[in-house]
Amino acid sequence: MRKELKKNRQLYLMCVPAIIFLIMFCYIPMVGIWMAFTDYNIRDGIFGSRFVGLQNFKYFFTGSTGMGPRVIWNTLVINFWGLIFGTIVPITIAICFNLVKGKFFKKFTQSAMFFPYFLSWVVVGAIVYAFFSSDTGLVNRILTSNGFEKIRWYAEGKYWKPIIITADIWKWCGYNSIIYLAATSNFDASLYDAASVDGANLFQQTIHLTVPMLKPTVVVLTLMSIGRIFFGDFGMIYGIVGNNSLLYDSVAVIDTYVYSAMRSLGFSYTTAIGFFQSVMGLILVTTANKLAKKVNEGEGLF
Amino acid sequence: MKRRSASDRAVLIFAYLFIGFIAVVCLYPLVMVLSVSFSDNFLVTRDGYSVIPRNFTFDTYTYIFAHSGARILKSYMVTICITIIGTLLSMIITSMISFALSIRELKYRNAIAFFCNFTIIFSAGLIPWYYVCVNWYHMMDTYGALVIPSLFSVWNMFLMRTYFSAVPPSLYESAKLDGASYYRIYWSIAIPLCKTAMLTVGLMYALCYWNDWWNALMFVNDREKFPLQYFLYNILSNINAISSGRVPSGAAANIKLPSETVKMAVTVIVIGPVIFLYPFIQKYFVDGIMSGAVKE
Repeated sequence: MRKELKKNRQLYLMCVPAIIFLIMFCYIPMVGIWMAFTDYNIRDGIFGSRFVGLQNFKYFFTGSTGMGPRVIWNTLVINFWGLIFGTIVPITIAICFNLVKGKFFKKFTQSAMFFPYFLSWVVVGAIVYAFFSSDTGLVNRILTSNGFEKIRWYAEGKYWKPIIITADIWKWCGYNSIIYLAATSNFDASLYDAASVDGANLFQQTIHLTVPMLKPTVVVLTLMSIGRIFFGDFGMIYGIVGNNSLLYDSVAVIDTYVYSAMRSLGFSYTTAIGFFQSVMGLILVTTANKLAKKVNEGEGLF
Repeated sequence: MKRRSASDRAVLIFAYLFIGFIAVVCLYPLVMVLSVSFSDNFLVTRDGYSVIPRNFTFDTYTYIFAHSGARILKSYMVTICITIIGTLLSMIITSMISFALSIRELKYRNAIAFFCNFTIIFSAGLIPWYYVCVNWYHMMDTYGALVIPSLFSVWNMFLMRTYFSAVPPSLYESAKLDGASYYRIYWSIAIPLCKTAMLTVGLMYALCYWNDWWNALMFVNDREKFPLQYFLYNILSNINAISSGRVPSGAAANIKLPSETVKMAVTVIVIGPVIFLYPFIQKYFVDGIMSGAVKE
């Protein structure tokens, strides 16, 4: 080992800054997970505080406010629909994009579809506001001009899961369709020629050639998303609805709950929630990786 | 060209309509934001938002720069500085390790790659990370807090390693025979050969820094240090609080709300540089996604 370190010293030194970063911001914080099993207080510090076992976890799942199960549910629902539509829409885009002709048309539409990816969630939040603000928002104007009542969107939680899922798909559809386009560009063109010689029309070619060939990509991406299904997108939720307490119950995901409970319910409790999330993530990602290897002939996700 | 059957024509028409529809849906909100920012505030409040500017005017922008120009300029400076400094540092750190890990002679490269990978599949969670940053690294209300926590991305490292791995090893070997050190090979061979890759990953980092408000939300209370995105976030969250009826009406009267056009104009100011650069940088992102996103 010493010989190897000496021989490739320069290369190892080049890894050092990144390794220091990961130690500082990923590995050292892991020490703090201990807080999840204690009743942390500032005076006694992380290791001096009283050990309470699994009490924090118990409170998260069975606490009287019911917030724990609710935020888990919200996270799963938003991620589930985001995953379903976030797969269907980009695939449809990619398939259609391969059928259309016209250089300018393709260039323009792709630029348009990819642009939302470049916006931050705060900017997306501003755009959502432009649609749903109660006095000037576009949606309420359309409602009132057609004789309907105005809706106070920012005070009604029930509308926001669909709004957030739509915003999520809107922001990512261009990006994800590029991934599928990359996959279709590797397909063998002679297969399509053969199919059309055999009299298959475009629709049949799509269903019997393109879709089956896209399957491995879809499976890999889906497995990756399932690995992260217990992680909510903090930026998305917070950027769009902020800390609006009227919408809180219906859109709070685990991550935003951790952030807002950090000060009110303490570090120990919120660390426990984060730890639950990470363990679920670890289990799901490793399972997903094993499955991906099966589907992908030995190639895992990483 | 043979005549297309009716069903083929139907499929093609659907394809054109669908692509066109999605493109419009993606662009429409943006055009609306732009047009509102150039509209007359009174008309917007009375008639609502529209895609055609109501009574085209620069009033809102003049107003913003007259009233909070200093504050916006300050936030702009903060964002520009963290973007430039952050991207440069990130690129140095990332390119060095990805170059090293792309060299096959490096015996422990798999161990190091696993060390990086593990942070993706398991993390300590927000609170321990926050605790360590605030109590041990003392990052509260520092400019460093806006840059340091995002300095290195394992995803970008793997993307860049893919590019470096595509360089034929024989090039390095002949340089080594000529007595070049790995530092030299990295600086004078690998980086110039992967110029496009460097630009791609650099732009990805830059976009992250430009769009970041999470670090500010976590660590910065001092208004002087707000980056642009967080400045906009604060404007919007004030409005959010009032339009949800959460703030009692007495208090609402005391908070001066920015007008509708001001909100949209600030949004335009925030995304301005991205819109302006978009035609030039788009292709690098497409390239990055295509080469790194999914292994084929």
